[in-house]
Amino acid sequence: MADEVTPTWEEIARTYGRFLYSVAYRLTGNSDDAQDLVQETLLRVRKGLGGYRPGSMEGWLSRIATNAFLDDVRRRRRRPLELLPEEPDRITPRARAADADLEAQVLPDDVQAALHRLPPEYRSAVVLSDVVGLSYQEISEALDVPVGTVRSRLHRGRALLKKALA
Amino acid sequence: MIGDHLGDLLSALVDGELSPAQSAAAQAHVARCPSCAAELDDITTARALVRALPALEPPFGFYERILRGDRRQAPAPSRWAWTNRRVAAAAVGSAAAAVVLLGLAPPHDTPVTPPVNALVEAHATGASLGSDPLSRLAPIGVPVTFRR
Repeated sequence: MADEVTPTWEEIARTYGRFLYSVAYRLTGNSDDAQDLVQETLLRVRKGLGGYRPGSMEGWLSRIATNAFLDDVRRRRRRPLELLPEEPDRITPRARAADADLEAQVLPDDVQAALHRLPPEYRSAVVLSDVVGLSYQEISEALDVPVGTVRSRLHRGRALLKKALA
Repeated sequence: MIGDHLGDLLSALVDGELSPAQSAAAQAHVARCPSCAAELDDITTARALVRALPALEPPFGFYERILRGDRRQAPAPSRWAWTNRRVAAAAVGSAAAAVVLLGLAPPHDTPVTPPVNALVEAHATGASLGSDPLSRLAPIGVPVTFRR
């Protein structure tokens, strides 16, 4: 994107629709919530809330999507009767498999399920790093947290993920 | 980091986020620390598994509906909006029918101009990016080029 004009959502849907839906699905864990998140992301794009800077369109869109996702998580948490996400330590490991075999054996659905059990902040860091491919600096800017926090959330997220899949 | 375990620096190591000097020191530590070596294996595996997740195809017609202005409805307030819109549509429909029945106006089609080309292109582009067999089949169903 060489020009400085914020792309229209038609352009975004045409070129990045699949990417955006995939990121939204990895964050939310199901199609209905992913569709809502994509829609909210596009609305924020249209309202000019994203602070568009020419650069990686994927980075910009996933930043808006992740913030919309985390805003929603925080809103839900403020409701008195809803419980916090499950304790990370309660993830029950399955029967152990050798590491070398694991990558070949694990199905995407299993990885998705394990991803969904991560606390949303860890999950966001993992998605921005390993689904979108952003650097720690970019994730730090996207989530407005220090780089050290990004590294810590990402590392814990990966460790929990591995524990859940082992 | 000497004498201590590396912790989240292991993720920084596999992500190439350490300076060359830090990276060398971390690797030297891993070479003599079985605990950090095991942890490095774990997070390397987890990282690879997430990176291998496939891109996902949105439900058919999803973006077309959004572009058309058909917002997905949020549960509580919008059910009303939806109902109201149906009531309104029904009212308009009955009025139109009445007009037609009375012979006051000739029936005519409501002009609808969906951006068909753009939508089909969007779908074909998205689908053709797919690496899975299903989405590779998808473009077969649509013409390859679009000229206006």
